[in-house]
Amino acid sequence: MDIERLKSNFARIAMHGDEVPLHFYSDLFLKHPETRPMFPVSMQAQRAHLVDALATIVSSADNADNLAGFLRDLGRGHRKFGALTAHYHAVGESLLATFAHFSGDSWDAELAADWLAAYELIAGIMTAAALEDEQDHPAYWTGTVVGREWKAFDIVILTVRTEPRLEYLPGQSVAVESPARPRLWRYYSIANAPRPDGSVDFHVRLVDGGAVSMALIAATSIGAELKLGPPVGVLRLDTASGRDVVMVAGSTGLAPLKAMLEQAAGLRQPPRVHFFFGARHADGLYDLSTLEKMAAEHPWLTVVPTVSDGRFEGEAGPVADVVMRQGSWSGRDAYIAGPTELVTDMAARLGAAGMPVTQIHVEDFGWSEP
Amino acid sequence: MTTDAWYDEQRRMTPDHVLAVTFPPTRWSRHGFEEEPVRAFLADVHAEMVRLINERSSLWQEVQRLRRRILGKETGNDAILFGKDDAHIHAVRILSSAQRTADRYVADAQAYSGRLTEEARARRDEIMGQAQHHADLLLEEARTRARAAAVDAMDHDGLPPQTDQERRAVQAELAYLRTFSEVYRQHLRIYTEDVLRTIEDWEGKERAAAREIPLAAHQQPGIGWLHSG
Repeated sequence: MDIERLKSNFARIAMHGDEVPLHFYSDLFLKHPETRPMFPVSMQAQRAHLVDALATIVSSADNADNLAGFLRDLGRGHRKFGALTAHYHAVGESLLATFAHFSGDSWDAELAADWLAAYELIAGIMTAAALEDEQDHPAYWTGTVVGREWKAFDIVILTVRTEPRLEYLPGQSVAVESPARPRLWRYYSIANAPRPDGSVDFHVRLVDGGAVSMALIAATSIGAELKLGPPVGVLRLDTASGRDVVMVAGSTGLAPLKAMLEQAAGLRQPPRVHFFFGARHADGLYDLSTLEKMAAEHPWLTVVPTVSDGRFEGEAGPVADVVMRQGSWSGRDAYIAGPTELVTDMAARLGAAGMPVTQIHVEDFGWSEP
Repeated sequence: MTTDAWYDEQRRMTPDHVLAVTFPPTRWSRHGFEEEPVRAFLADVHAEMVRLINERSSLWQEVQRLRRRILGKETGNDAILFGKDDAHIHAVRILSSAQRTADRYVADAQAYSGRLTEEARARRDEIMGQAQHHADLLLEEARTRARAAAVDAMDHDGLPPQTDQERRAVQAELAYLRTFSEVYRQHLRIYTEDVLRTIEDWEGKERAAAREIPLAAHQQPGIGWLHSG
């Protein structure tokens, strides 16, 4: 297999932009109409995902280990969409037809054979991972909403009980699908450590124009059923480090950190935790009372609420500024979750202040849409 | 239609556009341009190049098809004007353009819903701000009056009331102040409740509206409901 030739061919194909995934999906849906219901009405985000995934695969073709890990996750992740082995053949056929279409006169039998071999390799890893996963886990978990609490005018905490029980680690998140918005999956962090009854909390913030958050907030009542994908994410509490901890949460970035806080409370010797919770306005500190209750119960926990705009009897300013003002944290482990700008900015500033990169843990959803 | 008219109608970029484009100078120094407009222009140029590449590719495929047809005639084979493969490619194009239309409708609906919630959020902030301001004013006024009353009392030579008449006068004043504070508290309460009711009304309406959306989607499958909204 001539990988360099495949790469340069892909670069040529990619020049056609959105036409490429558009052609691919049209070809697939015409040849295999049964695959259309697996996708949402609007395919815009879907097409971008396909191009991103292909670009990742092609660019990391030389790094077999990384690529295999990526493909295994992709294979497992596709189970919740209802992808079966038969679909992989259909996809391969349409992908090759699409590549041939956009390659023009540079397409030949050799290139076709190379792409086919590459695709079979990729599909092989993905389907093997999916089959392996099938032994232990369902394709998705069915969750029933058992609790629903307005915390601020635009934030609701949903408590969901799953069938079967969802096993996860505090800090992880799952993709959620609402029956009101079929085939649109969005990632939400689980906001609690595992409970005896297996229920999980999601902190849902209404995103202006956000199709899924709108459905979860407005059209989800007690008893409603949601689909949950397998737990993903690399944010974990390092319980073996022996270091104290600083946590920084912006808005609903509180969710994964709160789960880890509950986990810490269950440890025999919890680390000292300094918890910064930031929002623009005071009413954005939606679950502060729970945090303060925890702090009153646990002497190892200090909670610092901060507000950047408007009136507040507490720390004022962007949360990252307050964190840097309040001391030197480089001897601690840092956990950061929230809006991307906050996470990147905070991590960079802690790093610049001398905290080793290995001690900075942030939420990362990878290629998929949060 | 002339080529120029076609370009105008399609709002396509022409070489002249690229030569004639101007950018606002940067505010920070005498040299260079504002970054945003330059990036936006580059994005337009990129989009136009992708479009040209795709058009060229379609034309190239059309040329190939016609060439095959002519060659087929020359060699005496069954020349077909429109083969099975051509039909498939045409079907792919039609489906692709239908998909684009669907994407646009969904994006429009989403943008509209985004605008609605954004406006609602702004309106809420405004109502809350006004309420806060009003409450502050009422409190401040009450405080001023209380201070004035206290000063008045002090001005009464600072001595406790001596005669029955003085005592009665002070008691009357006290009663007045109590009533005054009661009335103000009442005022504040009514005002706050009124503001809360407005917000609840508005929330109720929003929620009712939000509940109707999935119902409508259910009754009219596909994207039809987007037109009716």
